[in-house]
Amino acid sequence: MSGRAPCVVSLRNLVKRFGATTAVDNVSLDVGEGEFLTFLGSSGSGKTTTLFIVAGFEDPTSGDVLVDGVSILDVPPHLRNIGMVFQRYTLFPHLSVFENVAFPLSVRRKPKAEIEAAVTDVLRLVRLETYADRRPNQLSGGQQQRVALARALVYRPRFLLMDEPLAALDKRLREEIQGEIRRIHQETGVTVLYVTHDQEEALRLSDRIAVFSHGRIEQIGTGSDLYNAPRSAFVGGFIGNSNFISCTVAEGGNDRCAIRMPSGQICAIRGSSPMATGQLVSLMIRPERIGLSTTASQAGPDCAIKVRICEATFLGESVSYKVTTEWGQSLAIREITGKSQDVPLNSGVDAYARWHSADTHIFAT
Amino acid sequence: MLLSPNRMGGGRFVLYTIGALVMAFLLLPIIFIAALSFGDSRWLQFPPPGWTLQWYRDVLYDPRWIDSILVSAKVGLVVMVLAVLLGLPASFAVVRGRFFGREVLRAFFISPMIVPLVILAIALYGFFLRVGVNGSFLGFVAGHLVIALPFSIICISNALETFDESIERAAVICGASPAQAIWRITLPSIRSGILAGALFSFLASWDEVVIGIFLASPELQTLPVRMWSTLRNDLTPVVAAVSTLLIAMTIVILAVVAIIRRDRAR
Ligand SMILES: Nc1ncnc2c1ncn2[C@@H]1O[C@H](COP(=O)(O)OP(=O)(O)OP(=O)(O)O)[C@@H](O)[C@H]1O
Ligand SMILES: [Mg+2]
Repeated sequence: MSGRAPCVVSLRNLVKRFGATTAVDNVSLDVGEGEFLTFLGSSGSGKTTTLFIVAGFEDPTSGDVLVDGVSILDVPPHLRNIGMVFQRYTLFPHLSVFENVAFPLSVRRKPKAEIEAAVTDVLRLVRLETYADRRPNQLSGGQQQRVALARALVYRPRFLLMDEPLAALDKRLREEIQGEIRRIHQETGVTVLYVTHDQEEALRLSDRIAVFSHGRIEQIGTGSDLYNAPRSAFVGGFIGNSNFISCTVAEGGNDRCAIRMPSGQICAIRGSSPMATGQLVSLMIRPERIGLSTTASQAGPDCAIKVRICEATFLGESVSYKVTTEWGQSLAIREITGKSQDVPLNSGVDAYARWHSADTHIFAT
Repeated sequence: MLLSPNRMGGGRFVLYTIGALVMAFLLLPIIFIAALSFGDSRWLQFPPPGWTLQWYRDVLYDPRWIDSILVSAKVGLVVMVLAVLLGLPASFAVVRGRFFGREVLRAFFISPMIVPLVILAIALYGFFLRVGVNGSFLGFVAGHLVIALPFSIICISNALETFDESIERAAVICGASPAQAIWRITLPSIRSGILAGALFSFLASWDEVVIGIFLASPELQTLPVRMWSTLRNDLTPVVAAVSTLLIAMTIVILAVVAIIRRDRAR
């Protein structure tokens, strides 16, 4: 974010330790107005802890949280004016849907007519206006989370925190409510900090994604940034499918260099960062960036290695292959159907896997 | 189920017989007392030669019995209120607290259930003599509170344990102060546990006799204490009538608790 307008939320060098474990390790980021930013990471990577620090349920060991450029660490949670949807169902069990959604306005002592109008509006936004009189235990999980979202939006908080709100739902319902969340984000323009461990969900919803690992942000960027230019093997492996091959640098250099595959074959690659000859590296290629052909001598590709087809699965728009290299490693390859004229290769056949050097990523190991 | 009664063949009749015997063992004394209270034999003949409501009339027209019923009810109600008021913060401490010795404290809170009543009664007697509350209303309340508190704390802390703290957090992030969140969200959500704790506390005081015997004065006697002292002088069916009233009251309260439990399970 530029220095002009202060960001809605800024985390500055946040650290949180629980005894010997460091749950959040020097996290800094800025969330812009109206942005949908997602924390993506596996279980225990510190996503909830970071969110709880922003909400005020945990105090950071060090670092700061700024909202509109002002630190909120001294503000108690109930005065922070933040909306939050939790991973677990948190509707108030003894209140109806209407009373649940009205609760934030009623503790703010709003007039009755205003509450009534606001609750009706926001229930319409989440398409549950006909459920106002139900109790939480008369709602499905998806409906409960939509009511929770309505309750978090009704008082127009400065921004919204969502901690894996769909984790407890089954896949179909999850996709349906992802659509709802996207629509509601577009309609309200609310700034959202979202947490998930589901990369598809993150890609579908977010403007930007922060990949968490062991309490640190590995990389932050748009979905296509993370997919096309992962800065670490972790991010490359976490977003989308990928093949990793352990290699050594045969010839270091700044611009173009060459690496030695496990078979001994030398391949030219695009040098992303300076590498020393003899260094151990990991070569990453996406399955859809590898082509298959029966001969090595076709024009174009910069590298071709000999493989044997293990498994070919026809998937309609694409064919998914599992192949084995000369050194026994298994690679995944995905070819779009109809792009090449070749008929799908059968398992047991020898072939060449080839790729452009521009499609490879090299990570130091 | 592996051990379903339907699969046990002849064996299940043995099971039914054992069940029936246990039930009879538990119920017979109660039925026996109730039958005697309606019998017209002054000497508690069984089975009663005839039926009468005479003994109930005797109870209701005797100011000493009415007095004792009122004393027991008043002590019970005050104990009930105090047990809940003290039990609530104690339950929050043992369930939510993060401090050294929490489990020890929890065990300490329920220890009056484990210590033999007589020992508790003697200790209270000695202590109350010294501070001068023996035979007073305050003494009864304090003594009964000791045995009622474990019931209240167990009921309330069980309810609090099953209540998801995230719900309270949701109320706070919605703008409720911690006190508002507890008052408007947490307490209503665990109200069935609080009510059960209150009723059990009342019952603990209502039918308590051992501590009562030590603390009682001629002017101030709870119902069980008056029954006991009456019985010592004179075996009369009036006591059977009072017992039946006491049992009826207990059954009503337990039924209320059961209904609350069922509602909550739904
Ligand atoms: N109150 C606590 N006391 C001690 N350790 C904690 C506490 N809360 C979290 N941790 C630890 O901090 C780390 C990060 O936890 P956190 O809940 O933030 O992970 P997460 O990314 O939200 O995981 P998940 O996807 O499972 O929800 C974990 O190792 C966890 O064990
Ligand atoms: Mg979490």
